[in-house]
Amino acid sequence: MIVARGLTKTYGDKKAVDGIDVTVEPGRVTGFLGPNGAGKSTTMRMILGLDRPTAGTVTVNGHRYPDSPAPLREVGALLEARALHPGRSARDHLRWLAVSNRIPVPRVDEVLELVGLTSVAHQRVGRFSLGMGQRLGIAVALLGDPPVVVLDEPVNGLDPEGIRWVRTLARQLAAEGRTVFISSHLMSEMALTADHLVVIGRGRVLADCSMSDFIARHAASFVRVRSPQPADVADLLRRQGLDVVDEDDELRVQGLDPAAIGELVGKSGLYLHELTLVRSSLEDAFMTLTAGSVDYSAATPVGAPR
Amino acid sequence: MTVTTTSRTVTLDPNRNVPGVRRQGFPDAVRAEWIKFWSVRSTTWSTVMLFVLGAGLTVLVCATSAEWLASGKADESPASFVTWGMMFAQITAVVLGALIATSEYGTGMIRATLAATPRRGTVLAAKALVLSSTLFVAGTVTAFAGYLGGNWFLDDHGVGVALTDDGVLRSMVGSGLYLAVLGLFALGVGVLVRHTAAALSIVLALVFVVGTMVFLLPGAWGEWIGKLMPGNAGSGVATPVSFNPDLLEPWVGFAVFSGEVAAVLLVAYLVFRRRDA
Repeated sequence: MIVARGLTKTYGDKKAVDGIDVTVEPGRVTGFLGPNGAGKSTTMRMILGLDRPTAGTVTVNGHRYPDSPAPLREVGALLEARALHPGRSARDHLRWLAVSNRIPVPRVDEVLELVGLTSVAHQRVGRFSLGMGQRLGIAVALLGDPPVVVLDEPVNGLDPEGIRWVRTLARQLAAEGRTVFISSHLMSEMALTADHLVVIGRGRVLADCSMSDFIARHAASFVRVRSPQPADVADLLRRQGLDVVDEDDELRVQGLDPAAIGELVGKSGLYLHELTLVRSSLEDAFMTLTAGSVDYSAATPVGAPR
Repeated sequence: MTVTTTSRTVTLDPNRNVPGVRRQGFPDAVRAEWIKFWSVRSTTWSTVMLFVLGAGLTVLVCATSAEWLASGKADESPASFVTWGMMFAQITAVVLGALIATSEYGTGMIRATLAATPRRGTVLAAKALVLSSTLFVAGTVTAFAGYLGGNWFLDDHGVGVALTDDGVLRSMVGSGLYLAVLGLFALGVGVLVRHTAAALSIVLALVFVVGTMVFLLPGAWGEWIGKLMPGNAGSGVATPVSFNPDLLEPWVGFAVFSGEVAAVLLVAYLVFRRRDA
């Protein structure tokens, strides 16, 4: 279990992490979601005792990470994939890590096998592709067979097969009762992997709820209505107390399902050309939620098709 | 590349490792640093270069100078020549010392290191021990090899120095000690600046350039600054008779040098302990 209370990190006058209160429970995959620069990596570095919080605390299994008698056996972490010396072999990298925490060395070959790097164990990691580096990072995280697993952007650079593998692995680790905390900036990926979601933007928690709650609350849906008499239809629907938005040549209606809307319009003798239920994707929901907190957003060109 | 489906050979006991496991200690950190140190090629290469420069150049310069030293026209002592190559072997000690710190910052490895061993004092001490013991052994062996090879040519011309002569045995062990402490100096600077090129420039400039130039300073205080510069103070112990007559007594100088390096390491530790990785 990871518990952060009032966790804050300030760089100069910029608050990278701004008073986060989060509890990451065991037995489920918790997704840590936010746009780039939202404070995800900084938070993870503070969990691991690499960065010192400006204020607040973060504990793992009830104590600060640096106070663990053998931290790698308690918390396995994938940091940036390239936290490696390019001249060292994968096996040697795992070997020194194992030795530093009294992990039996045979475990090194076990995790190499687990991530599928046995055949390249003696190759220098400088020659590894991004995906292989990522696999090695995951091997490092699992080396100590830890009850808490923290993965920072684990699917970066992985091919579709690798992405599915990470997803399966994460779910399996959680099913074994471990605490699994995964950061990502991809909502679509988290939707498939996480049971629970913590969304942050500009260092603040924007949402902390189960995946299904998030979907129900944020993935809004509406009914697209096209008609040759849009003004009349809009009037009619508004009189029924529905929320109607006039968008270009269509009406977006919320509050009633397509069948009921169709019947209403039909009874009044108006024509309909289209009646469609539109669900906004989770990605859209995430974008909407974090819209105010994206640091480096690209300007949408004026007049660009939407 | 094929993907192994996750075949779990382990089952989870969340309390298996806490608190039953024995706390990781200093010996574990030393073993880890030892593996790290020797599993990159730069270490082997630098150590080979240390030997080649240190012993090889000594033999070469003794072979070419023996006749001149024996001619009676020489204004230098033959004993100054039996550790001649160690002046250049210093460079490799500086490189090894800087790299053991800066290579971790250059690659981001430092985060893996500190995640594995969160006690930063332990990490720094383990690095210092691995580095200094390696340099002490390599430096002493190299000095001996240079002496044996070089002195063979000097003996040939009747100007050889015996191991029992004043300062000769001291300079062999002194070479190891000097390189070890010099390496620690580079380690301390490396931790402070976190950048290989910067660390190398600073240490090499201080030892080779500034250390020589300060003797141009006028007056007694200029002479004292010269004597106290790290390279000048420390290197005296590594040669039986120094080319530079203005240095401190060998062991006094070495004590001064060690004190200076200890101060740098202390500052490095204080910064390292507080700094975000």
